[in-house]
Amino acid sequence: MRNVLKTIIFVVLFVFCISSANAKLFDASEFYLSNGLRVIVVPNHKAPIVKHMVWYMAGSVDEEAGKGGSAHLLEHLMFRGTKDVPEQSFNNILEQNGADSNAFTSLDYTAYHQKLDISKLELAMALEADRMQNLDISPEAFALERDIVFQERMQVVENNPASPFSESYRRLMWGEHPYARPVSGTSEEIKKLGLEDVRRYYERFYSPDNAVLILSGDIDVQTARKLAEKYYGRIEKRPLGVKASFPQIKSDVKAELKMTLPHINAGRITRSYITSSYRENPAQAYNLAVFSRYLGEGDTSELYKELVLNKKLALSISSGFDYTNRSHSVFSISAMPAEGVAPEALNRAIDEAVARAVNDISLDRIEKTKRKMLSGLVYLKDNPFEAADIVGTMAAVGMSLEEIENHADMIRRVKYKNVKAAAKKLFEESPVFSGVLLPQTGDK
Amino acid sequence: MYRRRRKSSGLFKYLVLLAFIGLIIYIAPQIYASRFKFNPQQILDHSVLKEKTFDSKVIEVVSPKNGIKAYLIEDNTNPIISMSFLFKNAGRASDDADKRGISDIVAALLLEGTDSMDATALKEEMEDRAIGIGFSAGLDDFTGSLITTSENQETAYALLRDILSNPRFADKELELAKQRADNAFLRQKEHPASVLGVEAARFIYGSHPYGRNPLGDRDDIMRLKRDDLLDFVRSRLTRNNLIVGVAGDISPEKLGLVLDEIFGVLQKSGSTNFVRQADVTFNRRTKNISRRTGQNISVFAAPGVARSDKNFYPLFVANHILGGSGLNSRLSVAAREKEGLTYSIYSYMSLADKSPLLQGSFSSTKENFAELTGILNREWQRFGAEGATEEEVEKAKNYLVSSYNLRFSSISNLADILMYMQKENLGLDFLQTRNDKIRKITKDDVNKAAAKYFRPENMLFVNIGEF
Repeated sequence: MRNVLKTIIFVVLFVFCISSANAKLFDASEFYLSNGLRVIVVPNHKAPIVKHMVWYMAGSVDEEAGKGGSAHLLEHLMFRGTKDVPEQSFNNILEQNGADSNAFTSLDYTAYHQKLDISKLELAMALEADRMQNLDISPEAFALERDIVFQERMQVVENNPASPFSESYRRLMWGEHPYARPVSGTSEEIKKLGLEDVRRYYERFYSPDNAVLILSGDIDVQTARKLAEKYYGRIEKRPLGVKASFPQIKSDVKAELKMTLPHINAGRITRSYITSSYRENPAQAYNLAVFSRYLGEGDTSELYKELVLNKKLALSISSGFDYTNRSHSVFSISAMPAEGVAPEALNRAIDEAVARAVNDISLDRIEKTKRKMLSGLVYLKDNPFEAADIVGTMAAVGMSLEEIENHADMIRRVKYKNVKAAAKKLFEESPVFSGVLLPQTGDK
Repeated sequence: MYRRRRKSSGLFKYLVLLAFIGLIIYIAPQIYASRFKFNPQQILDHSVLKEKTFDSKVIEVVSPKNGIKAYLIEDNTNPIISMSFLFKNAGRASDDADKRGISDIVAALLLEGTDSMDATALKEEMEDRAIGIGFSAGLDDFTGSLITTSENQETAYALLRDILSNPRFADKELELAKQRADNAFLRQKEHPASVLGVEAARFIYGSHPYGRNPLGDRDDIMRLKRDDLLDFVRSRLTRNNLIVGVAGDISPEKLGLVLDEIFGVLQKSGSTNFVRQADVTFNRRTKNISRRTGQNISVFAAPGVARSDKNFYPLFVANHILGGSGLNSRLSVAAREKEGLTYSIYSYMSLADKSPLLQGSFSSTKENFAELTGILNREWQRFGAEGATEEEVEKAKNYLVSSYNLRFSSISNLADILMYMQKENLGLDFLQTRNDKIRKITKDDVNKAAAKYFRPENMLFVNIGEF
C-alpha cells in the first residue's frame, strides 16, 4: 500500500514534474505551535476542498523488539474510539459529512488523513486532535482489530505469490537493520500482540511535538493558524519514547538471492544498492535522483534504449531512487527478461550498460535530463491532495520547508561531474544485493 | 424572637446550602460533560469556513470547421490544460472475433512513434516539454488523454494529431508488444485475484464478448499485422464516435480551433462490431476454483441498472448503504467491524454499457469463509426484505452530497467528468443539478429499489481458494 503511494509520489515528482524558473514548488507556509506541533499549509483555492493530514514521525521501525505489527495495529485502533467519541462514532461522523478518511503505516512514519469539503474541515481537526490524546482501546475492539489486521496481511501479503521473495530479499538486504522487518509484522507476531504493546507505542510516539499537520486546499495561512491553535494548541506534549537506532551497514557486502516459487510464471530480476538518503547527504541525493532519471526512468532512459530496444534482452527495465528515508535509501534496478533470456545473461548486460551509461555522462546529457525533471513541476500546483502527500512525505523524514520548496533549485544545481562521481561511488562503494525470482521448473 | 429568628435563619441557611450543594451535584457533571462532549453539529455551526459552491460553468464548444463537440470548463488558476477523449464502442468487447486484444495493442503502440518521428524521438519530445499523452482500451470504449502546459500546448496538439493520423506501428515495436503480451498472459496466472478476474468474466458472460480475457487472445495477438492496426485506427477512431472533455487554461474559441486541428484528421465515420446486450443467468450458480492461497476470494454479481435508468439514483443510494465505500456500510460493519472476519467486503454498481450489474467482493482465510459468505447472504436478503431506515438513507445522502466536491481535485478529473457527462447524456447542467437529484431520493425510493435488486436468488458467485 505504502509502496504504491510512494511510487506514485515519485512518478509525480520526477516523471510528470515539470517547471518554471525559480518558483517555489508549492508556495506553502509553515509554523509551530507552542506544544511543538509542526504545521504546513499548502493553499490551493481551485475547489472548496481540503486534505487534512497528521503524520507521526514514528513507524514500524520504532517498534519494540518482537512486537512487529504494533505500529500498524495501533493505526487501525485509532478508528475505534476515544472517551468522548466512542466506538464507531469517528467513522460515522466523518462519513455523514462526506469525508474520505483513511490512514497508512510505513517503516519511517504513520499518517492519518481526511479529504473533505472545506466547510467540514473543523470537524476533522477536532476529531484528529481528540484521538491524538484520548485514545481508548477496549479489549473487545483490540481483539477484533488484531483479527482484521491478520486478515489484511493474508490478503495483501500472503495472497501475493511473489511475497516470500520480496520479504526474504528485504531481510537479506537489511539484516539487523529495522528496515528488514515487514511493516505489517509477521503473521506470528500479529497473533502475539497484546493491548499493552499497542498502548505503549501510542504513549511513546503520539505526541504533538512528534507530528506534522498538513492542510492542503482552499484555506489561507491566517485561518489555518487560528484553527490549528484552536484544536491542537491545548494538547500537551508527552515525553517521547526512544526511536529506532539504525546500525551501520557494511559497505563491502555483496549478496544474492535466487528463488523459485509456486505460481510464479515469469522471471524478474532486481538489484539494490544501499546508499545515503537526503537526510544523510542532500547534495548526493539529488545527484543520484538525476542519475536515476538518466539511467533508467522511462522509455528514453539509457537502460531502456540499450536493453529493451537495441539488445532486446529485457521486456522492461527501470531504475528508481527514493531518498525520503529516516535512515539509508536504496538505489534499485529492476527488469523483466525477454523470453529465453537467462537472468545471468541479463545481469551481465545490465552491468555493461550501466558502465557505459556512467562513462557517457556529459554536460549535454545531464542538462537534458534535468530539463525533463523540471519541465513538469507546474503540475504539482494542480491537485491539493497529491501536494499534501508529497509535502507530508518529505516533512515526515525531517526535511525543512525550505528544502521541500527548493526542489527545483536543487535539481538545477546538479552538475554533471558530480553525477558521474556519485554514480561511480554508488557502484563501487555501496553494499549491493541481487535478486532473481524464477518459475518452478515445469510450473509454467 | 431574635434567637428564634437566628435559629430559623440557621435552618434556612442550612437548607439553602443543602439546595446549593444539591444543585452543584446535579449541574456539575452536565457542565463538565458539555465542556468535553463531542458535538459535531456545534463544531459545524461555529465553523469559520463556510460552504461554497464550486464555480464550474460548463460550456459546449463546437469546432468551426468539422462541427466537433466538446464540453469545456475554463480554469485559469494554473497554466495547464487537460483533455480526455473517448471513441465509443471501440473498446475490447468490439474487437473482431479473430483479433481479440487488438485494441489494447493499438493503445500501447500509438505512443511508439509516428511516420516522421521514431518512438524514442516522440517520447523525448514529450518528456522534454512535459506533455502527457496516453491511450487505453476499456471494455466498451477506447479512451485517450492529453495534459500540457499552456506554454507547450501547440506542440502537444501537433503531436497528438500526428499520433492519430500517422501512427508508425513499426515491426520492431509490434514485435515487442507481442512479447510483452505473451509475458502478461503468464503473469496473469500468478496472483489469485487476477486469475479470479479472468474466470469471473468467463463464468458470468460465457460466449458474450464481455466474457473474454481482458488481455485478449494470445494466438490472435501473435497473428496481428501492421495493416490490422492501421485498419483499427481508420475504422474505430473516427469523428462520429468521438467524445471530448477539456478543462484548464484554454478559451472556448481557441478550443474550437484545437478540436479541428487534432481530430479533423480522423475519418468522419467508420464501422465497429455491434455488441449485443448480455443475457446473464442469476440463479445462485457458483463456481469454485481450487488453488492454495493465503485467503479465499469471492466475487459476486447481481442484476443492476444503467446510468440512464430511473432506478439509478435510488439504487446508487441503496448500494452505498449496503456495501459502499468506507467502513460504515452494513456489510463492512457486520463482517469486519463486529466480527473481525475480513479486511475488506464491498459492493458497487458496475456500469458496463451492455450489462449493468451490482458487483462485489470479499476475502478471508478459509476458516472464516463460510461464515463470511453467510453474512453476505443474510445482509443481502435482509436489505431486500426490510430495506433501509430513514436514518441510514439520510446518512448516505449526506455522504454522497457532501463528498461531491472532492472529485474536482484536479483538472484531469474534471476533463474525465466532462467526457462521461456526454457519454451518458447527463446534460450541460449536470454539475449544478447532481446533488439535487440525490437530495430528492426518499426512503421509499431506496427501499423499492432494494426490494427489486437485492434478492439472494438473483446472484451468482465465483470463488478461488481452498474449499
